[in-house]
Amino acid sequence: MSTILTYIAISDGKLKRSSLEVLSHCKSLADASGASCEAVVIDAKASSFVDGIQKYGASKVHVVEDPIFKNHMNTPLLKALSKVMGSVNPSVFAFASTEGTKDVLGALAANQNAAVIADVASFELIDGGVKAKRPVMAAKIMNNTEAKSDKVLVSVRSGSYDLNESPESAEVVNIDFSMDDSEMKSTLREIISASGDTIDLNEAEAIVAAGRGVKDEEGKALISELASVLKAGIGASRALTESGVYDPSLQIGQTGKVVSPQLYIAVGISGAIQHVAGMANSKVIVAINKDPDAPIFEVADYGIVGDLYKVLPPFIEEIKKIKS
Amino acid sequence: MEDKFDCIVIGGGVAGLAAAMTLARNNMKFLLIEKGEFPGSKNVSGGVLWGSDLNKLVPNYWEEEDGGWDRFINHRRLTFMDEQSSFSLDFKSSHFNEKPYTGVVVLRSKFDNWLAGKVQEAIDASDFAMDSFIATDIKVDEVIMENDKAVGIKTGEDEFFADSVIIAEGVNNLLTRQVGLQDKYVPADHMLTGIKEIIRFDQKVLEDRFQLNGLSGMSNEFVGWATNGIEGGGFLYTNRDTISLGLVLGLKDLREKKQKPYDVLNHFKQHPTIADAIKGGEVVEYSAHVVSSGDSRVMPKELYKDGILLVGEAANLLMNAGKAIQGMDYAMRSGILAAETIVEAKAKNDYTSATLKEYRKKMDDSYIMKDIKGFQDAVHLLHTDVMQNKVPNLVCDFGRQFFSIKNEPTPKSEKMLLGAIKRHSSLWELAKLGFKARKSL
Amino acid sequence: MPDVYAPLQIKEGELIMDADRMVLNAYDASAVEEALVLKEKHGGEVEVVCIGPSKASETIRKALAMGADKATHILASGDEEYDSASYAKILSAFFKDKEYDVIGLGKQSQDTDSGLTGSMVAEHLSLPYTTNAVGLEVENGNLVVKRQGDSGQEMIELPTPCAVTCSNDMNDPRIPNLKGIMASKRKPIDQVEISSLGIDEAELQADTKVTSYEEKPARQAGKKYEGEAEEVAREVAQLLDTEANVL
Ligand SMILES: Cc1cc2nc3c(=O)[nH]c(=O)nc-3n(C[C@H](O)[C@H](O)[C@H](O)COP(=O)(O)OP(=O)(O)OC[C@H]3O[C@@H](n4cnc5c(N)ncnc54)[C@H](O)[C@@H]3O)c2cc1C
Ligand SMILES: Cc1cc2nc3c(=O)[nH]c(=O)nc-3n(C[C@H](O)[C@H](O)[C@H](O)COP(=O)(O)OP(=O)(O)OC[C@H]3O[C@@H](n4cnc5c(N)ncnc54)[C@H](O)[C@@H]3O)c2cc1C
Ligand SMILES: Nc1ncnc2c1ncn2[C@@H]1O[C@H](COP(=O)(O)O)[C@@H](O)[C@H]1O
Repeated sequence: MSTILTYIAISDGKLKRSSLEVLSHCKSLADASGASCEAVVIDAKASSFVDGIQKYGASKVHVVEDPIFKNHMNTPLLKALSKVMGSVNPSVFAFASTEGTKDVLGALAANQNAAVIADVASFELIDGGVKAKRPVMAAKIMNNTEAKSDKVLVSVRSGSYDLNESPESAEVVNIDFSMDDSEMKSTLREIISASGDTIDLNEAEAIVAAGRGVKDEEGKALISELASVLKAGIGASRALTESGVYDPSLQIGQTGKVVSPQLYIAVGISGAIQHVAGMANSKVIVAINKDPDAPIFEVADYGIVGDLYKVLPPFIEEIKKIKS
Repeated sequence: MEDKFDCIVIGGGVAGLAAAMTLARNNMKFLLIEKGEFPGSKNVSGGVLWGSDLNKLVPNYWEEEDGGWDRFINHRRLTFMDEQSSFSLDFKSSHFNEKPYTGVVVLRSKFDNWLAGKVQEAIDASDFAMDSFIATDIKVDEVIMENDKAVGIKTGEDEFFADSVIIAEGVNNLLTRQVGLQDKYVPADHMLTGIKEIIRFDQKVLEDRFQLNGLSGMSNEFVGWATNGIEGGGFLYTNRDTISLGLVLGLKDLREKKQKPYDVLNHFKQHPTIADAIKGGEVVEYSAHVVSSGDSRVMPKELYKDGILLVGEAANLLMNAGKAIQGMDYAMRSGILAAETIVEAKAKNDYTSATLKEYRKKMDDSYIMKDIKGFQDAVHLLHTDVMQNKVPNLVCDFGRQFFSIKNEPTPKSEKMLLGAIKRHSSLWELAKLGFKARKSL
Repeated sequence: MPDVYAPLQIKEGELIMDADRMVLNAYDASAVEEALVLKEKHGGEVEVVCIGPSKASETIRKALAMGADKATHILASGDEEYDSASYAKILSAFFKDKEYDVIGLGKQSQDTDSGLTGSMVAEHLSLPYTTNAVGLEVENGNLVVKRQGDSGQEMIELPTPCAVTCSNDMNDPRIPNLKGIMASKRKPIDQVEISSLGIDEAELQADTKVTSYEEKPARQAGKKYEGEAEEVAREVAQLLDTEANVL
């Protein structure tokens, strides 16, 4: 029986929802094809996540626990993933497409001589491999890609699949891991964390994104207020992460994060293709822009043509009223 | 000055590239500077390139499988419009199927870039393969003048020197003004704005709809209702699998009548004739560009001065007398003639007006200046209210009666015509128009 | 890579780029820029390597015009159906017996967004590496790279030789000036055939294959609300609640 394995990413001590989305999908693929649906978690406290994982249908959870996994580092992660692949021998190994995944996916494929398709919007099994749809050309169009190999790695954009609980009592398989200092190819000197208690954009139900139209502290304050009223994450266009107005980890788009919340409010963002590439899959898009010809209106469900400094205060007030 | 060029060409549009090609073929050491990211990236034409000069620059250009052009014109149409009707003069001839073609439709971003590639090939084959350049993404800020003679150009901090400069910067001719060949201020009523959409079809649909055969194509110009009362005209040209549909509109008139070009274009697209022509197409590109009215009153004082030649639309070389817009062919020919003059100047080692005035002479002897002078009145005539509104309405009114078949006695067509004239104009006005037209056409 | 801004269309599952133009990947432009900055600060030489058809030479020329010292053009016909893994194998074969301190790559290709080649090359060559770099310094002969991770930025120290994939957030690549463009013409471009790199052609056969292209499920432009700011703001807020049901 073949195995479909899902990598469960942990970030800031939490299960990444996007990897559970992937697991949910793999579960349905496994059920349909008679494959075994398994998961692997690699973390300093890996075993503590087993409960959360088995809810989504993994029949086996492979656990690699070692203090070295407290922070992301590619050398140990790669070693662990290779070891897991060696012992599980999955026909398909699926990942959520996070920065952590992107850091090792190619190297893992090269190391394991596996075929790999990165950053897909959906995938399914075909005879002898995997078939996937990927956004290409700055997400203007899609392509269909097939990977034919007995080992296929695939990474999936967040928000591509719904979470789907199907509790299993999973068998837990601990995989030994140790790593010598001498094996470390690089050292992690320091982590500069994003300021404050920001909501993870990949997981956020709602996102308020600021662009160059947000010019000053007053504008930032309006963004923060709107986000807090909506319990939304704050994102930004490159114009504002580049100039240091917002933390770089908040950048949404081709270079930054790809998000797909229920509600995306683009404030003072023109809608360059590279930005739209990262948010076009949001369920409902609202754009506030003073330029009626801004391209962002081509993707927005609700376009408000106006000055954000005049639009946001009554907008926030009205939402407060609705919420209360 | 080891790095000195024989010539620096400013602008990589049709005019600049034609000059560059001629320079390369004549083994000249030159530099062409284009501010766009690549040649053609910002250029807009309708665009039919009329005449056969392209064959001079790139002999047998049609043999190349995927050359820079889209279709050759063998079908021409001039359409008068009123609100509901259109009345066309339509001419199609297999005579136009012969090579070299006398008109090819081009999309500038593709055509200019292709032509630049051909120029590069010519450079590579010349004695100055390593010393002549096409440089893009660089804007010339200034022509360096010494004792009122051009000696080079400036871009940012960098200066480059040459015996001569060909200004091929197009209609926004800031450098032409800087060197004093044109007044700093050109009144808006001599400027038009051109806007166009590229509308894509399934190629088969396009070919069937416009009766295209192989690479044959159609050009269609429009007068009357098309422009919603703004002075100007419309055009529709067939490309490989798209059409170029657009308008050329007087800037001053737009301003006075408070209309936006884009709204006028939408108005045009609503005409039943156009709506039928573009049905099922998808707009894939929209662009706008200023274009000269081709009025000789705004021509530069002269086309040359010491060390400088002026070519293409930088010199307002353009003809827009209703049946076609001619700008690219003028640009091409003037570029060729200017470069030939530089070659002569190098032979004589004299780049002053004494030699460069030969360019003016060549231009005067060419069809360009002959046409510009000869059809000047036609240009003025076209821009009158009579031609813009009354004539198209009248023609369509007549057409409606002439082509209607009712179950009642048919009036003589002469009577129909007189009726139409009375409704839209007067005999006296038309007689005046006819007189003017005879003189100017 | 093809210019992602250029008009494109899909006909019977095939992607057709109207203008057959090649451009320098923005992320690679950042890698070149960073290399030039390193050279300006610490000396050394910047060499660019590109696998591509003959018309890719224009793109190579651009990197030379920015200031790279020399280039290698590994010739491909352009008809091969290579994927990131194939390119990584060719690049690794090329680098195998070369001397270098840092291999800089783009974090991904703008057209495909694959983001695989960099770490593949590092793995084939057993190099220390990091991806998605947004900043870079040299300290005591080691590279200290700031990489954008999922939630924060990681400062990673790498011994040389190593590989780094660069984000365009790293810098603003310089636009070649005229002097640079002119100088680039005299810089050497070494042309290399893939067959001379000692790789088995069969090994380059891609495991992944693009079978077709299709339009994205179209996102219809919704409604635009223009008018008095206060009014439209309240109207849309109401609609988000009653119509879109997302509050
Ligand atoms: C390879 C590459 C990758 C890229 N990746 C990304 C990416 O991941 N994410 C990203 O965002 N960008 C990315 N970009 C950059 C992208 O092309 C744009 O430059 C960027 O998105 C522009 O940000 P903006 O919309 O905030 O700014 P602008 O384009 O300057 O737009 C500002 C908008 O605000 C409006 N505005 C101004 N004042 C007001 C006001 N008072 N009220 C209302 N509206 C106002 C203006 O009308 C305008 O539309 C990338 C570019 C490249 C080349
Ligand atoms: C809508 C429209 C429809 C038209 N239809 C037709 C038609 O059907 N047939 C026809 O023959 N003509 C047509 N024309 C006119 C035709 O486009 C122009 O006459 C022609 O492009 C002129 O060529 P040119 O080379 O002189 O100038 P351009 O094509 O304008 O080229 C000038 C070049 O110089 C560059 N440049 C400018 N300043 C600088 C600087 N400082 N430094 C470096 N580079 C610089 C520009 O980027 C540009 O590439 C049309 C025009 C418009 C707008
Ligand atoms: N043909 C190629 N020639 C040189 N470098 C390449 C080539 N293809 C990919 N790369 C490098 O790999 C990066 C992108 O990887 P990927 O997204 O996997 O295509 C690019 O930014 C380049 O640095």
